[in-house]
Amino acid sequence: MPTLTIDNKSITVPDGTNVLEAAQRLGIVIPHFCYHEALGAVGACRLCAMMFEEGPVKGLQMACMVTAQDGMQISTLHPEAQELRSHVIEWMMLNHPHDCPVCDEGGECQLQDMTIAGGHGRRRYAGKKRTWINQDLGPFVVQEMNRCIQCYRCVRTYQDYCGGDDFGVMGSRNRLFFGRFQPGKLESPFSGNLVDVCPTGVFTDKTFRFKTRYWDIEEAPAVCPHCSLGCTVIPGARYRELQRVRAGVNRQTNGFFICDRSRFGYGYANHRERIRQPNCQGAATSWREALEHLKERLGKVVNEYGPLSVAIVGSPRSSLECQALLREWTREHGYRPPLFEIDNRRDRTARILAAGLGKQARSMAEIADSDCLVMLGSDPLNEAPLLALAIRQAVRNGCHVTCLDPRAVKLPCAASHLPVQPEQLLPAINGLVANRFEEFERQDQLFLEGAAERLGRAERPVLVGGGDLLGPEGTEALLKAARSLNAGLFVTLGGPNSYGGALLSEDGPDSEEMIEAALEGEIKALFCIEADPLTEGPARSARALGQLELLVVCDHMVNRTARSADIFLPTTAPPEAAGTYINNEGRMLPFGGAYAPGLPLRDIGEGGHPPRTFSNITTGGEPRPAWAILATLLQRPLDFDSIHHGLESDPHFAGLGLLSPGGEGRRVTDAGMLPPAAQPEFPHSAPEGSLPLLVVEALFGTEPLSSLSPALEPVIPEAAVQLHPTTAARLGISDGETVSLRTELEHLRLTARTEAEMVPGLLVAYRLRGTPLELLPVGKITPCLLEKGGNDA
Amino acid sequence: MNLIRGIKGTAQAYWITLRTMFRKPVTIQYPEQKRQPFPRYRARIVLTRDPDGGERCVACYLCSAACPVDCISMQAAEAKDGRRYAEWFRINFTRCIFCGLCTEACPTRAIQMTSDYEICNRDPLDLVYEKTDLLIDDTGKDPDYNFYRHAGIGVVNPRGGNEDEKPPADVRDLLP
Amino acid sequence: MMPDWIITAILVAIKLGFVLALLLTGAAYLVLAERKLLGRMQLRYGPNRVGPFGLMQPLADAVKLLMKEDFIPAQGDKVLFFIAPGIAAVTALITFAVIPFGPPLRLFGREMPLVVCDLNIGLLYFLGLSSLAVYGIALGGWASNSKYALLGSIRALAQLISYELSMGLSIVPVVLMARSFSLTEIVNAQTHIPFALLNPPAFLVFLISVLAESKRTPFDIPEAENEIVAGFHTEYSGMRFGMFFVGEYINVIILSSMVTVLFLGGWHGPLLPGIVWFFGKVMLIAFLFIWTRGTLPRFRYDQLMHFGWKVLVPIALLNVVVTGAILLLLQG
Repeated sequence: MPTLTIDNKSITVPDGTNVLEAAQRLGIVIPHFCYHEALGAVGACRLCAMMFEEGPVKGLQMACMVTAQDGMQISTLHPEAQELRSHVIEWMMLNHPHDCPVCDEGGECQLQDMTIAGGHGRRRYAGKKRTWINQDLGPFVVQEMNRCIQCYRCVRTYQDYCGGDDFGVMGSRNRLFFGRFQPGKLESPFSGNLVDVCPTGVFTDKTFRFKTRYWDIEEAPAVCPHCSLGCTVIPGARYRELQRVRAGVNRQTNGFFICDRSRFGYGYANHRERIRQPNCQGAATSWREALEHLKERLGKVVNEYGPLSVAIVGSPRSSLECQALLREWTREHGYRPPLFEIDNRRDRTARILAAGLGKQARSMAEIADSDCLVMLGSDPLNEAPLLALAIRQAVRNGCHVTCLDPRAVKLPCAASHLPVQPEQLLPAINGLVANRFEEFERQDQLFLEGAAERLGRAERPVLVGGGDLLGPEGTEALLKAARSLNAGLFVTLGGPNSYGGALLSEDGPDSEEMIEAALEGEIKALFCIEADPLTEGPARSARALGQLELLVVCDHMVNRTARSADIFLPTTAPPEAAGTYINNEGRMLPFGGAYAPGLPLRDIGEGGHPPRTFSNITTGGEPRPAWAILATLLQRPLDFDSIHHGLESDPHFAGLGLLSPGGEGRRVTDAGMLPPAAQPEFPHSAPEGSLPLLVVEALFGTEPLSSLSPALEPVIPEAAVQLHPTTAARLGISDGETVSLRTELEHLRLTARTEAEMVPGLLVAYRLRGTPLELLPVGKITPCLLEKGGNDA
Repeated sequence: MNLIRGIKGTAQAYWITLRTMFRKPVTIQYPEQKRQPFPRYRARIVLTRDPDGGERCVACYLCSAACPVDCISMQAAEAKDGRRYAEWFRINFTRCIFCGLCTEACPTRAIQMTSDYEICNRDPLDLVYEKTDLLIDDTGKDPDYNFYRHAGIGVVNPRGGNEDEKPPADVRDLLP
Repeated sequence: MMPDWIITAILVAIKLGFVLALLLTGAAYLVLAERKLLGRMQLRYGPNRVGPFGLMQPLADAVKLLMKEDFIPAQGDKVLFFIAPGIAAVTALITFAVIPFGPPLRLFGREMPLVVCDLNIGLLYFLGLSSLAVYGIALGGWASNSKYALLGSIRALAQLISYELSMGLSIVPVVLMARSFSLTEIVNAQTHIPFALLNPPAFLVFLISVLAESKRTPFDIPEAENEIVAGFHTEYSGMRFGMFFVGEYINVIILSSMVTVLFLGGWHGPLLPGIVWFFGKVMLIAFLFIWTRGTLPRFRYDQLMHFGWKVLVPIALLNVVVTGAILLLLQG
């Protein structure tokens, strides 16, 4: 722990800290470009010069390249250091164009700040400026190479940190070009981070192009709602339109970066079809009327059939506050205990995980620090992209990654992948504990024994599981394995707040039980809060919902259930209201609302400009947070803080009130409860010649919110079925051919894609929204028939 | 002595006010008499055009940021040729205090103040000027300046075609 | 013929009406005169748009004030808030009752004194009422429930009490010289030489104290705009504010009249009729008030107190002693 003095201020820093970091800790602002906390220092920009006056190192040095040592006396204000910095920034500005007014970075540009900080204001160099022809880098990122100052941050992010290989640096001396070899779409799912990382305007957000300046945008730290990892993001809005999302900093979860789904999947909040008014039977009404109507209809149902005829379905998309009020509401009125996930498999998985995770919980930071990772049924790039980045960092630190998965799991790093059948995952997990793999072929046995051996040797091993594929049984087994191996556990879940819902579900009934009750006519009124049973629930949901007398839906997006609702109450989208999510490792992450809901100004303009009327009422400002609707029904004051702090009375959420949005969060303190024993599933009689179809999540196009985002449309994968070449050969299907897929209920036509790295004998399809595939249960085997061509519909 | 000085000082003040009373007032009897302000007078705001006839405004939001009363609002957009322009531009003259900070902030000399000070109105909405009301067919005070001839993003001239630019570099060129 | 008492009553009514109308229009046009004079002192014209030379301006102002919203502060004391401006205006008006503004007239064979009521203790009446006027200001500031109003009224109280002392003391020599409290007697005592010439220190002290009593520049700290918005009448609007305003200008007229009566020999003067002399002198003093406003800056609070207690009061006291001694000597 060296102690050093910078500008007459002393500080003690951990070993290995460089002087620039030490200065930052003291609150001394020193200009720098190439240094980035996540990327480290390379000493390329020559801007962080400081004068080392006393101590082991002397003279003018680059602060980021010197490790802090005892007895250093450093001056940042030494005239020599200041002069050097002012020269360096002047050199950097030699070729920088005079285009700040038309540059999207203007206002949040590090180069602007550093130029002013460096004292350079007037151009002295009379020569001409170097120019470039730009490349088209796809739908997310715009390149303007003239502005480049050669700090190398983009390459270090894209190649080193994120593992992308289609972007790099070319050329020599003052002709360095940062881009692709050929113009084209950036292939890494983390390409959007170039926008955040570039200190000037070379890479800017294409979806945000020319929309708003930094100082006009309304921002608040929030939690990404697109998967269960709980990455900190900063959504920004202007004129009631969510216009961009940038990465927040949470060293425990996402670090400094986010994936493209998180960054460009924000379009759902501005969706044109979003219903922003309460309506009854399809006719728009006021909140008062809608709520009165709701109370009247609900009262009628309760009077006639008793309180147990009312069922509630919550959602893993809802905030913890909403979920807790939902539980309180059912308790107060004696309704059926609420469900927080209609997908039974995901529900049970989350509840089993929440019940037993305890000390085995690991954060992504700990994964990046792990020395042995075994992934079981997890496809991070598709299910939880930032997990892939954490795994890559672990690999860069010397970790070995073993991956057992039926899919062709692609990682941005080296990993040994063994394709296994979905039902082989359970024996593999048990085998890892006992180091016995009799059920596997000899070749696979060797692979698995190697993995088990590495796992036993490792100091900080982590088992990474995909909740969808593992299911409740697999998760339970993985939990036991982690405990007996003394390894960490990290299981991805279905939604951003699955864990919170699981904790609140306690030992309440599962969705299977509710659907059965509905089918038997015991349930007459159903309340769906941000849930969509018709899409996410089992196929029987449609029949069960048909028997209801009252269907109430509160949601911020239009989905199947919302369309058939008797009463629809609009709720706010996640960035529009404050709340709390609990991510898949049990970390409580509060977030603040960035802006108030309303119809984007862009959509109500007249003659190219906003309407020329004055009003105090926000057009389309009706949506209310789901917790507020429930608080109204509970006759509680509409005070978010009191509800948020009230959660602390539940021992699970101790310390929640101390957390602030954008912070690192804190793990829940207590374990959840196990769900009631599952009803045995009746084995489906698979028809003759059928193949198992596994429906899984994809990076783009399957997550319910981001799939509504127009910005992601160009990257949504084609509706395809993946199969192993041998399977394809057996069926006589070649790559790219149109095939017909027939399940019990659906019949669809897809493109066949052969994938050599996946397990033979299995079909894999992405659960693309807007196609019949979205109705198939995710992670579960569906028997289906695959035929060539198939023009008969 | 102090007393005498005090009395003298007081009496002098009375004398000055009394004397001033008989001088001719400097008041201009508006609206019968009108005064032509100086060219740099700060009154009604206009958006000017560059010498090539294009809109100078690039909707950089600097004027709205500089505006102390928040009377300027706009939305930037991109034209087909890459030119950044204001999709709509609105100045609320009921709020404007004619401080001129917007014109000082403007990097393209688009927003300028004129000496037309007679913009009173009975309907506040008539004082909310849209882009069509603001845009004039003139270069205003800096007749030769065209931002895009210096910006270097290739809107008016092809990329690297401005006076102070080299032609686009070729990354595959190995020559020194 | 009408009975004698009816004629007397009619004459008294005419006199009262004349006095009232004169005072109110006088106050209104004093406002206009002040605005025009101050305008000229600042190289402006002053109001010149309403009517010829802006002569209808007072009327326009009155209409404006009547039509403005009558605002009452939410937490204010409503009754006191209503009463306060009334006290300010009424006390100013009824002070004029004892001021003789001309030599007695002979009409229809009866002597008609040109004073509403010739009290033998007129001077004490004036002093009493001018003390009473403080209530209007104190209550107005208190009832407004505003820090500025309260500060203003406290300042006004302190200032009026301080300067009342020097004012009272500066009148003592006059009473000594005239040997009467009746204002008519005092005027008559100055038939040949006005007291201003006989006793200039008393005149100066009285003039300055009167300026302070009227709360006008340089003694306008109770309503110092740049410190406490508008002082005691910050929360007043419309005609309630108008009453404070009218009260102030009536006060100016009355105080000018008092200066005239006590020191400038009232209606006495050569050639012209007495009433013209009287009003001429009043207008001169009123002009002095306005001129001072156009000339002098405001005192600071400590300077104000210092000047009142350490300069004016000692001078006035000394003057009482000296005048008394001289009178004793002359008599003895």
